[in-house]
Amino acid sequence: MSDHWTDRLSEYLDGDLLTGERTALEAHLLGCPACRATLAELRRVVARAQALDDTPPAADLWPAIARRIGGGAVPARPDDVGDLAAHRARRRISFTVPQLAAAGIALMLVSGSVVWKVLGRGANPVAVGPSAIAPPPDGAPAAWSGDAPYDQVIARLEQLLAQNRGALDTATVRVLEKNLQIIDRAIAEARAALAADPASAYLNHHLARTMRRKVDLLRQASAIAGAGTT
Amino acid sequence: MGPTGAGVTTLQRNPTSVAEAELADATLAASGDGRAFERLYRAHSARIHSLARRMVDADHADDLTQEIFVRAWEKLGTFRGEAAFGTWLHRLAVNVILGRRHTIGTDRQRFATDERAIDAAPNRVTVPDASDWGIDFEDAIGRLPERARQVFLLHDVSGYRHEEIAGLLGIVPGTSKSQLHHARLALRRYLDG
Repeated sequence: MSDHWTDRLSEYLDGDLLTGERTALEAHLLGCPACRATLAELRRVVARAQALDDTPPAADLWPAIARRIGGGAVPARPDDVGDLAAHRARRRISFTVPQLAAAGIALMLVSGSVVWKVLGRGANPVAVGPSAIAPPPDGAPAAWSGDAPYDQVIARLEQLLAQNRGALDTATVRVLEKNLQIIDRAIAEARAALAADPASAYLNHHLARTMRRKVDLLRQASAIAGAGTT
Repeated sequence: MGPTGAGVTTLQRNPTSVAEAELADATLAASGDGRAFERLYRAHSARIHSLARRMVDADHADDLTQEIFVRAWEKLGTFRGEAAFGTWLHRLAVNVILGRRHTIGTDRQRFATDERAIDAAPNRVTVPDASDWGIDFEDAIGRLPERARQVFLLHDVSGYRHEEIAGLLGIVPGTSKSQLHHARLALRRYLDG
């Protein structure tokens, strides 16, 4: 395996040789068992490299990362430690019709109380600017940083849900649609209130929280629909 | 080089939907949603940690992985969705690792010079030393000289093209091809089975 073609075998394997070179090398391979054997070994190396398994870190690094990006703002849950596959499995399905209904009712109550508070007590003068996008404390939603990011996410999730909607039973669809209507109404009310008082931190947070609820609802509904398509 | 795992559980079965879901999570994370970013971390931590472990070593892999995800959080605003999130993250990870290699390079240099390093030169006698027995394929990758190891991992494991690798490492594509060939030749002896 010391002829001058040996050093071109990887390029041949990767399809990087010019047509003339490739033809010449293939002619050489016909009469050179050593180069053929080397080429076969190189193929096995490449295949072995592509089959390498990725393994997660031995310890969960998320708590440390969460501290660094938010000063501990995104605490790890107790079940975060340990096996990643198990963690994913635990996340897979966690959505029921009663939960859907509860989400809607909660939103209705929250929405009404927020509007009452704002209208009745006056606006909170604290302004919320673009800098308010850091992870919120203790799982609370971030302050409102503009419609665009949420609108994009919601549009995509609605599209995904529409694709798999047939996998949901009619009762679930009915509850889902009802709750989406409630959420949309809450969003509209929050936006209207915010338009009248754009500096209100309370309204900013409320709108962010309401949009986040819609995203969560759509995401979980999509999860159920997606699971039903398999 | 596609992403592994899924940000939104729905979509694990369909690569297009996975990309869509991760784009959604990345958008949310860019708005400050820590939960969305955690989902992205869960989906990609194994791949990123493995990359760091292979490119540098196990001792620095945890630290590098943290650094990569913190950097990703800071740079999420630059992610526009033209490529899959996993692709964007992997590129960022490679840049962080290569940037850090100067500070931890003193540890790595021993692999290029000491007797435990695999000589990637093509003319080396191919009979392994007695100390080589028992080294598996992953260990053997870790014992390649630094440049050969980086090129091999980026090309054969991660799927980068020579032109991209040349840009990342500051070399010419011909050098990347040559290093890759030498690495493959050296690794033949450590194929399993």
